[in-house]
Amino acid sequence: MSLAQNRPKTEAATAGMEAAAQDRAWEPLIVAFCCNWCSYAGGDLAGTSRMQYPSNIKVIRVPCSSRMNPLFILRAFQRGADGVLVAGCHPGDCHYSTGNYLVRRRLSAFKRLIEFAGLEPERFEVRWISSSEGDKFSEVMREMTAAIKALGPNGKLRDGRWRKIT
Amino acid sequence: MAENNVDYSAKIRGVVAQDLLSGRIDLLLGWEKGHYWWQSRPLFARDQADLERLAWDSFCAVNLSRYLVDELKENKKVGVLLKGCDARALNRLVQDNMVPRERVIAYGLPCPGMLNYAALLEAAAGRKPDGIAEENGQVTVRGGGVELTVPRDRVLLDKCRHCLYPNPVHCDQLLLTPVGERQAPERFSAVQERESLSSDARFAYWEKQLERCLRCYACRQACPYCSCRECFVEQEQPRWLSKASQPSENFMFHLIRAYHGAGRCIDCGECQRACPVGIPLQELNRKLIKDINELYGHYEAGLDPGQEPPLLTYRPDDPAAFSEK
Amino acid sequence: MIKSIKKEHLAHLWERLASNGPLYLPVKEGPALLFKPWREGAAVDLETVSSTVSPKEVFLPRDEVYMQFSRAGQKLELHPAVQEPAGRLIAFGLRSCDLRAVELLDMVFCRKEPVDEPYAARRENTTLVALACGEPDPFCFCTAFGVDPVNAPGADVQAWWNRDDLVLEAETARGEALFTLAGELLAERNAVDRPERPATTDFSLPLEGLPKRLKERFDDPAWGRLYRSCIGCGACTYVCPTCHCFDVQDFGHHARGQRFRCWDSCMYKEFTVMAGGHNPRLTRKERVRQRFLHKLQYFPENYGVYACVGCGRCLRSCPVNLDVVQAIRALGGETVEQR
Repeated sequence: MSLAQNRPKTEAATAGMEAAAQDRAWEPLIVAFCCNWCSYAGGDLAGTSRMQYPSNIKVIRVPCSSRMNPLFILRAFQRGADGVLVAGCHPGDCHYSTGNYLVRRRLSAFKRLIEFAGLEPERFEVRWISSSEGDKFSEVMREMTAAIKALGPNGKLRDGRWRKIT
Repeated sequence: MAENNVDYSAKIRGVVAQDLLSGRIDLLLGWEKGHYWWQSRPLFARDQADLERLAWDSFCAVNLSRYLVDELKENKKVGVLLKGCDARALNRLVQDNMVPRERVIAYGLPCPGMLNYAALLEAAAGRKPDGIAEENGQVTVRGGGVELTVPRDRVLLDKCRHCLYPNPVHCDQLLLTPVGERQAPERFSAVQERESLSSDARFAYWEKQLERCLRCYACRQACPYCSCRECFVEQEQPRWLSKASQPSENFMFHLIRAYHGAGRCIDCGECQRACPVGIPLQELNRKLIKDINELYGHYEAGLDPGQEPPLLTYRPDDPAAFSEK
Repeated sequence: MIKSIKKEHLAHLWERLASNGPLYLPVKEGPALLFKPWREGAAVDLETVSSTVSPKEVFLPRDEVYMQFSRAGQKLELHPAVQEPAGRLIAFGLRSCDLRAVELLDMVFCRKEPVDEPYAARRENTTLVALACGEPDPFCFCTAFGVDPVNAPGADVQAWWNRDDLVLEAETARGEALFTLAGELLAERNAVDRPERPATTDFSLPLEGLPKRLKERFDDPAWGRLYRSCIGCGACTYVCPTCHCFDVQDFGHHARGQRFRCWDSCMYKEFTVMAGGHNPRLTRKERVRQRFLHKLQYFPENYGVYACVGCGRCLRSCPVNLDVVQAIRALGGETVEQR
């Protein structure tokens, strides 16, 4: 629910406004699924080191990047995400030895499938971020936010009903 | 096969009758004629009288391996007639531990491809066809006092159009002479055509295709890889899908259905054949097959049960479809 | 009143009729033929005899919202769903079997209390134009159920082809209102003979006294053979013009949401699952039997008429060719058949 409540007001809320005003008002929502052992800790490091990254990113902690069920990704898009990021340990560094090796194959296939369905490639990304890479964490988040801002709001895969009740 | 106007049904009946009547198998899964000459439906034969109805012609499209999962709950040993695709479906089910292979006798039937009634109607050019005759790769459609001959390739079911493995693999007994090897240079052409479009055009295409989805789940029920005891569609906690006919729900269902077959889909096309509203589901399946082949090496599901499916394994130096900087 | 229009002018007619509200007619979507609201460029097909999915979705949409709800603290507020835009609906090109099916749906939804309001409202607001069948599809067997392919009682307008002319006869005041809307696009016409009644597929079904025999044969082993090929999808129920089961579900979160109804199918195993997990129709055998008995025994017992109209859609769409004709043949006889 927090996902929905924190969502920036998008098209529905700004309907009727001037197009320019709408552009200024719109802020992308990006959901980042971060693995507990590396990327989430990398985010912590970025925070404790006072590194800046955009508040558009909402982080959801998962035990391992291989915990990612593709349903999570589609659900995020259904409920208003303009971009989804999965971040995990670098290959070879997985806390569970092989989780990210397996997910590299799975999410590569999935990324290409949802692109085939019409989603822009920039809207779904996977990155490896270790717990010592606070700088990389904030850089990836900035890059992703800029890319999604350039693309504009996402309407694809969106559940039209959700907009009416949030 | 009736390919050259020869009816092999009697020959097949003879072989399976021995096993069924001697008690080597308790049940034989085959086909019998339906109401119309263009329909052959599943036959569940237990005795001689049932076997009399066994039919093998160009309309035996239904994949029978799917029934093994349920029938093996009630029968000790089941015999099953398998075309090339059906045999790979059986391998898949065995690989998923859904079917104990030792309790199945697989009779292989080399298959020249099954025919499509809609295509035959088109070939009959407005006349009502009464039946067909086949010879040397040609199909003659009879109807309204006229006979029209078309190449067999033109009236094949979509699912048979790009078949690479018409001869069943890993069968206990091959009942007919193998058919010639086939090439399928056009197998991925529809996928490539779609790939060449812009993201927005692709989305518009799929939105239009998926809009008519009834969510009857015929694609899932007909599929040999969809063998989960509980599908995510019906899961209550969490509830991923309702039964609402919403575009985003249709996308979710079809993308996840196809994705669950990544590295497991044998490309038999039963999903697309079963779809009452003709959604080109094989395009989604083939997109995954094509990408996995490109990224992680050539793999044909169901061909070699000893080979690990590509998404259940890895190599440390695998490429990725995203930046690894 | 009889009028007619040339085939090549139909596009103008669609535009005119759609100006006053949604105009549903058979539109080609990929290989499927579906009843959809007309839009510029729609591939209208009035030749093909039966649509892939029946026109029941005009009155019973695949999903529809009953109400919105919202909660503030302990207070729950209910808001009725926003009604569809005003304007008359026109459903054009229904076949006689479809019309009979609409009548059967009326029996369920609005001829007895309690009346289903969304259905009744949509039904009341719709002008029905029936189209006589020229050459029936091989799957058609409507005459077995007493349906006349060229004459559809209950229609507001009955239409039929006379070579390249579409001839229309207004049967009700609503039908005449449609003529007024069409205005000069329809030409006056003297009485034209209605088309000959064509022959449909004759399956020689033993329909006389069938409900009683089915009741006696509830536990017949024939059911145990018939269901086996069923793969458990809902294709038959969703293409069927008389299947009308629906589910009521909620969509939303703790604070706001909507309650909607959507098509459901007795072929799904969770259709009858109860709180606590008990399922009275545990296997596909019970589910297949339920579907056919509902059509052929329960509906006749409750409403005095079969809930099958012989449209043949299940004969066409079932992936494994298990259909109502097969069920009647397997269980319709007096004695226990040998398969």
